[in-house]
Amino acid sequence: MIIVNYIASVVLVVLGLYVIMTKKHLIKIVLGMSIVDYGINLFIVSTGFNEGGTAPIYKMSEFFRGSFFVDPVPQALTLTSIVIGACVDAMALSLVVKLYKQYHTTNSDEIRRLRG
Amino acid sequence: MSYIHFPVIAVMTLFMGAFLTVVFGRKSKAVRNILALAASCTAFVLICCLIKPVLIDGEIISYWMGNWSPVEGYAIGIGYEIDQLGMFFALITVFTVLMSCIYSIRYMERDSALDFYNVLFLMLSGSVLGLVLTGDVFNMFIMIEIMTFTSVGLAAFRNNKAGSVEAGFKYLVIGSIGSSMTLFGVAILYGNCHTLNMAQLSSILAGKLTPSTLMAFALMFTGLAVKSYIVPFHTPAADAYTTAPASISMVFSGMVNKAGVYGMIRLVYIIFRAMDKSSVQLLMVIFGVVTMFVGVTMALAQHDFKRLLAFHSISQIGYVITAAGLGSALGLTAGLFHAMNHTLFKGLLFLCAGAVYYAAGTTNLDKLGGLSKKMPKTCICFLIGAFSISGLPPFNGFASKWLVYQAVYEKAVTSGNIFYAFATVAAVVVSVMTLASFIKVTQAVFFGQLPASLENVQEVPALMRLPMWIMSALCVLTGVFYDQVNKWLLAPAAGAALNVSGYIDRMMGEGYAAEAGVVNIPVFAARFSFWNPVVWLLLFIIVLAAFCLAIIGSSGDRASISSAPADAEDGKYATFFSGEKSMPSHVSGSDLFWGFKKNWKGYFKVMDGIHSGRVNDYALYVVCAAALITVFVFGFVR
Amino acid sequence: MEYLKILFNILVFPGCLFVGAMGLLLSGIDRKVLARMQKRVGPPIIQPLYDFLKLLGKETIVPKAANRKVFLGAPVVGFAALVVTAALIPVLGYRAFEGSADLIVLLYLLTIPAVALIIGGSSSGNPYAGIGISREMVTMMSYELPLICIFLAVAKKVGGSTLCFSLSQIAAYQQANGSLIGCVSLLPAAAAMLLVIPAEVGTQPFDVAEAETEILEGPLIEYSGAPLAVFKLNTSMKMYIMTALFSALFLGGLATGVTALDVLIQVLLCIALTLICMTTIHAVTARLKIEHLFKFYWTVVAGLAALSLVLVWLGF
Repeated sequence: MIIVNYIASVVLVVLGLYVIMTKKHLIKIVLGMSIVDYGINLFIVSTGFNEGGTAPIYKMSEFFRGSFFVDPVPQALTLTSIVIGACVDAMALSLVVKLYKQYHTTNSDEIRRLRG
Repeated sequence: MSYIHFPVIAVMTLFMGAFLTVVFGRKSKAVRNILALAASCTAFVLICCLIKPVLIDGEIISYWMGNWSPVEGYAIGIGYEIDQLGMFFALITVFTVLMSCIYSIRYMERDSALDFYNVLFLMLSGSVLGLVLTGDVFNMFIMIEIMTFTSVGLAAFRNNKAGSVEAGFKYLVIGSIGSSMTLFGVAILYGNCHTLNMAQLSSILAGKLTPSTLMAFALMFTGLAVKSYIVPFHTPAADAYTTAPASISMVFSGMVNKAGVYGMIRLVYIIFRAMDKSSVQLLMVIFGVVTMFVGVTMALAQHDFKRLLAFHSISQIGYVITAAGLGSALGLTAGLFHAMNHTLFKGLLFLCAGAVYYAAGTTNLDKLGGLSKKMPKTCICFLIGAFSISGLPPFNGFASKWLVYQAVYEKAVTSGNIFYAFATVAAVVVSVMTLASFIKVTQAVFFGQLPASLENVQEVPALMRLPMWIMSALCVLTGVFYDQVNKWLLAPAAGAALNVSGYIDRMMGEGYAAEAGVVNIPVFAARFSFWNPVVWLLLFIIVLAAFCLAIIGSSGDRASISSAPADAEDGKYATFFSGEKSMPSHVSGSDLFWGFKKNWKGYFKVMDGIHSGRVNDYALYVVCAAALITVFVFGFVR
Repeated sequence: MEYLKILFNILVFPGCLFVGAMGLLLSGIDRKVLARMQKRVGPPIIQPLYDFLKLLGKETIVPKAANRKVFLGAPVVGFAALVVTAALIPVLGYRAFEGSADLIVLLYLLTIPAVALIIGGSSSGNPYAGIGISREMVTMMSYELPLICIFLAVAKKVGGSTLCFSLSQIAAYQQANGSLIGCVSLLPAAAAMLLVIPAEVGTQPFDVAEAETEILEGPLIEYSGAPLAVFKLNTSMKMYIMTALFSALFLGGLATGVTALDVLIQVLLCIALTLICMTTIHAVTARLKIEHLFKFYWTVVAGLAALSLVLVWLGF
């Protein structure tokens, strides 16, 4: 239970959402999406923390009931989430490149051909 | 091989098909088509083999990946659990995939980079199938992410057309916000319960609604609502359904937003078991009613065929959410029936829109007209789809909408809350407005006068018409034989959603649910009180008799003469036309219903401003709605 | 024997022949009384029958731009739906089909003739027809809202804590407890229904869809001969069906036990209702524009019906 981590992750998520909602430059919006992802990753990995626990790497002979270690499942979830975040960034940035070639602008106020 | 392996094999076949297309399918069109068809057919056959054990015999298949069964009552592996509710949605999914695959063989032949198309399409299908079959909440999140990526790729596929890449980008931003919220909710749930298996979560969360689990509920509800495209999360859906190729739009509206609906039903009915709380019911019904109304009024103002169909999709999902949110067995049956019918008739309508685009090159309602003479078979399929969605008897839309009205009004009476009575009124009015909108499209596209630019339009190839015929036939059959559909498909599915202890027991071992103190919501069988087959038999007899009379009467001596246009002859009739040539004066789609639009000018102006096209505004609506849902959940859900 | 009885119900009474004859009779009385109100002599009362027979003898011209099958099939579909509707409405005491007549099914069956007119007009390919169908659709959108509120109010009143959408049960309730028009909470609903009837039938001031002087009969512009005869017959049959529905919903308590007497009372009631809600209003008003019609129905008439719904809900 690390309070600082949880507060920081919530702050990151809120900041990321703020960036998506207010910034007009497309790359800044993509950065905002990434910040949201990082905040959530921080949150996930912090839920697994056990104070005083060791790293969850054991040989079968060392492993017994009562071994106290940090929870490995959230670490696996975080790894998956980091990979997903990377893919989202890659896809979003390639879309931004394509949009710039077509519309010659990266201002989200002007990329509005589909509306109403 | 035992049938319990079939679900995983079906999902993996679709993914393997995508992989093999990358390896072998880059150059040859035949190899690509064969691979795609083989993968879709295999998945369809495998899921159909599961109908007997799951739906008919009532068994729930429980499958732990890698044989990691639960240890001391804790789930440590990823589990696939296929109960009747998942089976219902899986059948819808594989059917849609197969139809779309057959259609896209001819439809996509004018586009380039088709190997990428097939890869994305097969991965989308595999991810949705995995979503509805899984029993693990993080696996569901992963499938949602795969679904989002591939949908973005497919929405932006025709990147030479204006607006495609823009639609893809907005879809990615909004979809990513939704997925992030779902992940946050999953993380909070893991932190509380230390398990990711839906059955075990359900037994732990019983009655234990602490503030953190309430937060998880609010976040996951919002995330899955973004995936179902209900208002106010619907904005990227309208754009994406317009720019995606029609075979993909059909998959989007038939499968992808059903996946979101399935997620919401699992969340509220099984994981949190919160459906008996009236606050949660009110939340879902309010969203449903607003979605219905906004969807259909926006559709009345559209100029593009596919964007109009997209808004109608959003409106019909509003019906499903309203019915599923009532918390009664009748409501859930109505919602599931309408979800299935929506896939059928909306898929049919999108395929017709694709046929029109393939033949005429445009989907702008103001430029089309009179196509029923050139494309008569497409016109018939379109009319069947339009009458189904408007809810005219004897098509399937009538049966499911009637169930929805009955369910909502009964809820109004049993709960004594007059809000549900007004929800019934709103549902009927939305249905009439849907009818109005489709009359407008029929007049604008198929009837009316043929513009000169469309003189050379031809009927679409047979391979494209085959899925349309199959879906039209199903629209009629499920409407006429609604009670068979109820007996074999709907009642088991609704029963499974309400029978949580059976779900938990199958996954975690017998007796687990009883230990955790899980109590079932009692299931009452849905009653269809409206239909007497005699009525429809006599309608059929009269129509047949009158048709024969009409045909006999119009042949022979009093044969009908076709009148030629007036300027074919000159001189004789010039006095009536002042010697002027007659101009084409087709009443186009935007000119209809101006009387309605004039009265509602203020409303339409506000709605136009709301759908501004800016991605920042759309993100703002998502975040505001998430905040409102969180406040509501904390304030009222006990 | 069962099938013979069903066939009799469909074809003769209260089906095809009965409703056709009643429709033509009401239409004729409407024209005659209207003429007298306007200080003219007017046509004889069986003039609509003469019109129908004359039209059957004229030739049918199908325009080249029209879709032939839909053009010829639309009036037939409307006619079939109206016959089924008429067979479902109880004639005061006499109920042809027990238990299967639901109000919501009736609501949908009543939309089919309007949709048949719209599709028929649309398929003719004429731009005047296009304008006409747009107005007809907006008219339909306008009166559906009050109509559903009226049906819901009646269903709640009759059912109490369960719901009752079945027409035969409504008739039974009224025979036990007296006509529903006697209940104070349903008076606004009855008034709203009286205003919905002229819009459904398409008489002035709500006949904007077939405005003769503006759009030359709107959807019917390209029709001639037998299809036109069937469409005109549909309009007349709708007059009877709507007034019969009103009397079944609100005036059911006037039934005696004898079938022949019931039929006579029903005929007189329908004539009276036609005179009240169609002829009188027709004689004293001018045609409304489509946006005024929409606004009128969604404010005044829907307000009355919603008031009734709220009153019934509160238990009055």
